[in-house]
Amino acid sequence: MKILIVDDEALARDRLRQLLEESNEHVVVGDAANGQQALAMSNTLHPDVVLLDIRMPGISGLETAQHLNALEKPPAVVFTTAYEEYAIDAFDSQAVGYILKPVRRERLAQALERARCLNRATIMAVAEQSGIENRRSHICARVRGELRLIPVEDVRYFHADQKYTRVCYAGGEHLIDDSLKQLEQEFGDDFVRIHRSALVAVSQIAALKKADDGEVSISLRGDGPPEEDRLTISRRHLAEVRRRLKGRSD
Amino acid sequence: MPEPTETPNKDSQVYLPDFCAASSILVTILVAELIAILLTLAAHTQPGTFLTELSKMSMYVLWLALPSAAVLCRAHTWIEKLGPVRAFVMSFAMLEVLCLLLAEATFQVTTRYGAATVINDSHSLFLLRTFAISSIIIALAMRYLYISSEWRRSVVLEAQARISALQALIRPHFLFNSMNTIASLTRSDPARAEEAVEDLADLLRANLGGPKDHTTLKEELEVAAIYQRIEKLRLGDRLRVRWDIQDLPMRALIPSLTIQPLLENAIYHGIELLPDGGEVVVSGSRIGDQLHIKISNPVSSTAISKKDGNKMALANIRQRFELAYGKRATVRLEETDDLFSVQIIFPYAERSE
Repeated sequence: MKILIVDDEALARDRLRQLLEESNEHVVVGDAANGQQALAMSNTLHPDVVLLDIRMPGISGLETAQHLNALEKPPAVVFTTAYEEYAIDAFDSQAVGYILKPVRRERLAQALERARCLNRATIMAVAEQSGIENRRSHICARVRGELRLIPVEDVRYFHADQKYTRVCYAGGEHLIDDSLKQLEQEFGDDFVRIHRSALVAVSQIAALKKADDGEVSISLRGDGPPEEDRLTISRRHLAEVRRRLKGRSD
Repeated sequence: MPEPTETPNKDSQVYLPDFCAASSILVTILVAELIAILLTLAAHTQPGTFLTELSKMSMYVLWLALPSAAVLCRAHTWIEKLGPVRAFVMSFAMLEVLCLLLAEATFQVTTRYGAATVINDSHSLFLLRTFAISSIIIALAMRYLYISSEWRRSVVLEAQARISALQALIRPHFLFNSMNTIASLTRSDPARAEEAVEDLADLLRANLGGPKDHTTLKEELEVAAIYQRIEKLRLGDRLRVRWDIQDLPMRALIPSLTIQPLLENAIYHGIELLPDGGEVVVSGSRIGDQLHIKISNPVSSTAISKKDGNKMALANIRQRFELAYGKRATVRLEETDDLFSVQIIFPYAERSE
C-alpha cells in the first residue's frame, strides 16, 4: 500500500517512516507537516492510506480527513494521537482506525490492515463524541480533479442551485459538495441564511437595500455578487438578518 | 484592547454556621449553661444558694441565647452575602438589640409579677450589665466562629490546591509525545535520545515530588529550561524561547511548579497551533519588594482550540499563590487577538537560614 505520513513533528514522522520501511509491505510515498501539505500531496501522490496526526497547527487532522473525502478516490485514514482525551472510545465505537503514540509496530500493522475510508458523518460523530470543536477552517472544492481549499473567512456567501452548492469567495466561485443545511449548522455563528437558497457571511454584508416592490436585498462589501445571484432576503428571514446585523461588533 | 483580569475575590465566604441545625442548638445550650455557671460562680457570695442562683442565671442566659440562635438561623442567608466585616457588625447589632429587648422584658415581668425580688439591680444597671456581658460574649463567639471558618477555609483551599496540583502535573500527552520522540531518536541519534531520557527523568522527578510551597527561582527556572529542551526536540525551530530574566534575584522563593506549567501552556495553546511556531517570552523584574514574572506567547488568530485545559492550570496556580501569599500576590491575564500573557506578581522573599 502507498502511505502518506502527516505529522507536524519531524521526529514523529521519522518514527513512522522507520517502522514502515522495516516491513516491506508498504511504501511511504511522502510525508507532510500539516493538513494543507497533506491535501496537496494526496492530490498528486494518490496514497492508499493517510496516517494523520490529529492535533496539528492550521488545518487539524480531523478537518484534513474531511477534506480528503473530496478526492476522487479518497484514501483510507488512520489517526495517530497521543491524547486520551480525544475519546478513544469514540474511535472504537465508530470503528475508526487510530494508533496511540508512542507508536508500536504491531498496532501500526493492525491499524493499516483495518484502515478504511471515513465518511463525513463518521468524522463528525468522532468530533462530537470527543468534544472537539470541529468547525472546519477551510471549505474544500474540487477543481478539475484537484482539491482547492478556501479559507472560511474569505467566503462571501454560499448559494444553492438545484443540485449543487456554490461557494463564492474573494477569488471566484466553485462548486462544493456540502449542502446549505450542513454549512449553516457548521458555520451558523458567522453566516446567516437570507433565503432558502443563500447563506451569507455576516461580516461581508454592507447594507440592506429596499427595492420599489418592497423586496429587500443585500449588497456586499467590495464588489457585489454576479447578476444572477441577486441576494434577496425572503420575508421569513428578514427579522433574523436584521438581528444579526445589529449584533455585529463592527 | 487587552483587559487585565483580576484574580477573582472570594471574600464573601460564610462564617456563621447553620444555627437551625439541631447540633448547633445543642452547642448553644451547652455554651449558655457554661456561661451561666461561670457567671454564678463569679457572683456567688452566700453559701448554700449556689444551685438556686445557678438555676435563675441559666434560665436567664438560655432566655437570651436561644432567641439569638433563632435570629441567626433566620438571618443566616442574607448575612452571608454582606462580607465578613459587615456580617460581623450586622449580627452583633442584631443580637445586641435582641438581648436588650429580652432583658427589658425580663425586668418588666419580674418586677411586675414576681413574688420575690429576683433582680437586685436598678433598671438601668440591669440593662447595662446585660449589655456589657452579652456584648463581650457575642464578640468572642463571633471572633471564634470567624477564626474557625478561616481555618476550615484554608484547609479546604490547601486540599483543593493539592488536588489540582496533582491534576496539573505534566499533561499525559506531553509524556507520550516525548516518548514517541525518544523512540524515534533511539535509532537516528542515540546521543540525543540519551539526553532526552535524562531530561525527562529530571522533569518527572521535579513533578512527582509534587508542588512544594517554596523553591528557589533558580531551581524553578531550571525545571522550566529542561522542559523547554524536551519540547524543542519535538517542535524544532518552531519553538523559540527568550529568557529575559537577568533582573530576577535567583535566590528568591517561589511556589514550585509554576513557571514550567505556564511555559507548557504557552507552548500547548500557542506555539503548537502556529504552523510557523513563534517565540515565548519569559520576562521578570523586581519592583520594590515585589517580583513580577510574565510569560507571553503568540496565539493563532484562526485556531479554534481555546480549551479549558488552560484555565485549569491557571486556576491551580492562582490557588497556590493565594494560599502562599494571600492578597499580596496577583495572577493577571492579558489577551489580545494574537498574544496571550500571564503575569504573576508576588512578594520577594529569600530563604531564611
